Amino acid sequence: MKQNKDKNRKIYGWIFFFISICFFCLQMGYLFMHNRFQVEYSDNRIFYVVNIFCVLCIGLGIYFLLALAKKTKLIGTGILVLFMIVNVGLLFYSNHQIKNIVSLSPDYKHVLSIKENTNTGDAVFFRTYFGILALPKERLPYATTEEFKVEWLANDVAAVTYKASDHSIHQYIGTFGDRGGGGYYYVGPSIYGHWKGNDTEVISNKEGISVLSNGKKETFDWDHIVQFGTLAVVLTANDQAVWTISLNENFEVHSAAAVPPTGEISLYKATMEKTEPIILNFKSSNL
Amino acid sequence: MNKIILGITSVMVICLIIVLVFYQNSTKTPPLKLDQNEAEQNQSDQNEQALYADQTIDYSLQNDKLQITYDKGKSWTTVPIEIGKLFEGDFSGNKQELIDNSYILSNNLAAFLYSDGPGLADNKIILKYSLDQGKNWQDAVVTEHYPSLRFRKVNFLEENFGYVILSGDRTMSQEMSNVFVTHDGGISWSETNSSNVTRLILDGGFVDENTGFLSYGIINPDEPDLYMTQDTGNSWMKANINIPDQYNEIFVQAEMPFKEEDHLAVYINQGPNGDYEGGKVKGKFLSNDNGKTWEFSTEVKPDETE
Repeated sequence: MKQNKDKNRKIYGWIFFFISICFFCLQMGYLFMHNRFQVEYSDNRIFYVVNIFCVLCIGLGIYFLLALAKKTKLIGTGILVLFMIVNVGLLFYSNHQIKNIVSLSPDYKHVLSIKENTNTGDAVFFRTYFGILALPKERLPYATTEEFKVEWLANDVAAVTYKASDHSIHQYIGTFGDRGGGGYYYVGPSIYGHWKGNDTEVISNKEGISVLSNGKKETFDWDHIVQFGTLAVVLTANDQAVWTISLNENFEVHSAAAVPPTGEISLYKATMEKTEPIILNFKSSNL
Repeated sequence: MNKIILGITSVMVICLIIVLVFYQNSTKTPPLKLDQNEAEQNQSDQNEQALYADQTIDYSLQNDKLQITYDKGKSWTTVPIEIGKLFEGDFSGNKQELIDNSYILSNNLAAFLYSDGPGLADNKIILKYSLDQGKNWQDAVVTEHYPSLRFRKVNFLEENFGYVILSGDRTMSQEMSNVFVTHDGGISWSETNSSNVTRLILDGGFVDENTGFLSYGIINPDEPDLYMTQDTGNSWMKANINIPDQYNEIFVQAEMPFKEEDHLAVYINQGPNGDYEGGKVKGKFLSNDNGKTWEFSTEVKPDETE
């Protein structure tokens, strides 16, 4: 019986020891890539979490594998606990310095990662790889105020609404991939025509894009329409975002002839309040 | 064994402590670094940045100026064009590099195609060129009136004969496309007859002074749509491409044909959505009648076409 128990302890011990080595290798690999290629974790706090789990597994591995003297045990446990406490502290402290905005797509395939320097208001969008690693992609054009709202308009389109230091509202659209290698190149011309949803209409034509919502019509000429990736545009007025239009997954443009596009587009209001995207269907090519 | 385990764990804990200290220091300055391109962009906002050339003949768009070099960056000559005009029209790509095929940089000719006008309609399309490595510049008006540009391409096959292919006025997946040719080295340009095709143009060009091609179909094409002329654009006709049944709806986008030995050859790729053999394999087709009909020759792996 005791032999079985000892055997189990050994197995647990080796498992924890092995896991701790994996965490250790991950951390060393990360540090190398961080210095060499500017790679970061998609959320800076992952660094401390990996540290904590690593020493936790080290502690458990030793506990199960070795029979140490009481004094050695106390010193070892003290070092590991202290290390964990320091990491927990840094985990919270670091998020005050660099605020991480991280959001997982509805299909769990993409991670949106934005890091904001809370002192300067600088925020940078990161392109993520394998979920946890990220490379800086683009600086958000306006200094931010720690207020962010993330809404996934599709599995590969995330709208980030944020308030700038001058209290103006802006939107940044993170797009992930271009759906099949080609994408649509120009979102505005791809949605030429008349689109209709619940009490809301969108008209895209040569002059620009008009939005009819709650009886109010707003027209945005092409100079005030900013494209993100190949899947979304933001309509702006007075240097502020007003609406975002994104192509839904079922949206498709046909090239053979003047066949209208099929599928849906989403219209999303730029506001810090809670809003839902409005789904619009193609109504006609008559403008 | 115990000593080995203790030794390894001690090394790991010590390394983790060092890494933690190191990481804390490295994230303090600077906290958020951008990728190199944007960092360079930001820097150029503050001061004039040193220019760098990859090749002996190269260009730079840094410091908000188009500049060219003929000595690998030792000296630079500014091209008198506003940078924005080089990207005017229906273009939303990367503006840190010139649009492919919209310029020529060689020892004997530097030429840049750009649009001058309000943007949406009635723009003048100009070819600014220099025959003396940027010392003197001339403007040649390719066309006085053109709507918002999408596709643009300029090329010279020989000193006197060159062509410009433009497309614009795009509405959904339709647009107009036009071919202009010069026989006097770019001084004067004349428009050829139109192919009357309104699909989005993918590419085009001439292989000699008489024989030219226009390839259409960008979004979800289901077969290659290649038009050809054998009289410098006076008349255009659809080329007959005989695609074997097993490649039907697989090879769908014709690239620019080229001369090979005593015949013409063209690669036909799988378009944006191709997934045959990984999507990158192309079909090579040959023509023995100067582009009128094409017969399948072989499958070509992507690295063999470059």
